[in-house]
Amino acid sequence: MDALLDYVSVNTFWTILLIVHGLLAVALLGALTHQAVSVLMPVRQVAGMPSFVTRFRAVHGAGYASAVCFLWIATFIFGAWIYSKYRITIRIPIEQEGFWKTQGAFEMKEHLASIGLGLLPIYWYFWRNARNADYDGPRKWLTACLAAMGWYMFLVGHVVNNVRGFGS
Amino acid sequence: MSTAATKTSASSTSSRAASTAFRTFATVFAITTPILYVICEMANWPLFTYHPGTNRIDFGWAPAVRDEGPAMHWYGWTANTLIGAALLGVAATALPDRVTSKIPLALVWIVPLAAIPLLIYALRFFWRW
Repeated sequence: MDALLDYVSVNTFWTILLIVHGLLAVALLGALTHQAVSVLMPVRQVAGMPSFVTRFRAVHGAGYASAVCFLWIATFIFGAWIYSKYRITIRIPIEQEGFWKTQGAFEMKEHLASIGLGLLPIYWYFWRNARNADYDGPRKWLTACLAAMGWYMFLVGHVVNNVRGFGS
Repeated sequence: MSTAATKTSASSTSSRAASTAFRTFATVFAITTPILYVICEMANWPLFTYHPGTNRIDFGWAPAVRDEGPAMHWYGWTANTLIGAALLGVAATALPDRVTSKIPLALVWIVPLAAIPLLIYALRFFWRW
């Protein structure tokens, strides 16, 4: 890492990490949302030209499972890396400004990210056995939970970045 | 039965057994992760404490050191949780199928949801108006 810092400033380095974290999160959110919608509102039968929403719902959910696991772990690793910088340069000013609820919401995001890690193996197993009807219920609701967690984490990360993130 | 058929049958059985063992591991891992995480967070039991200002790591819980910046416990809570859940998951694979097959699969999403109000309560310090 020291060699890299010969070419880019410290601020640029952390900004790159934040952007990579954000891009991974966008990809994760897209995959999880597609998958969650496909299990919560599955397409039964399409008459005529399918609408955008129908096509959005009609994805093959099982094809996203491995990507979701990879993206969750990769996003987590980058987030955990940035968190050490955040703790000093972001959280302290946020507390000094009195944005307590913003800080609390961010702490909750960290909690959900860790808990989500523990759900990935069974999530992957359920989708690997997507034809097993015994897993339909838990697969559906676990996917919905992970998608809701992903949306919460994404939005809170976005708000915290607006409060004091990129460029501050 | 021919040799090929015997091998196929043995392979299929082995694969199914491995799959069942993985399902047991993953189910217990998913159920125990939120429980252990809530315990570690509320009791403040990190495996280690990281001091980002000085890049120092202390084993277990450690307070922030004056003039050296904050102490971070989240990494340690997560490590404790994942190690504990993995150990419990592996231990569960040693149980007979008739026991593990009775674990309700719905718990893998109900327990994480149940953990959320507890974690919100644990963060009550931040909910100031």
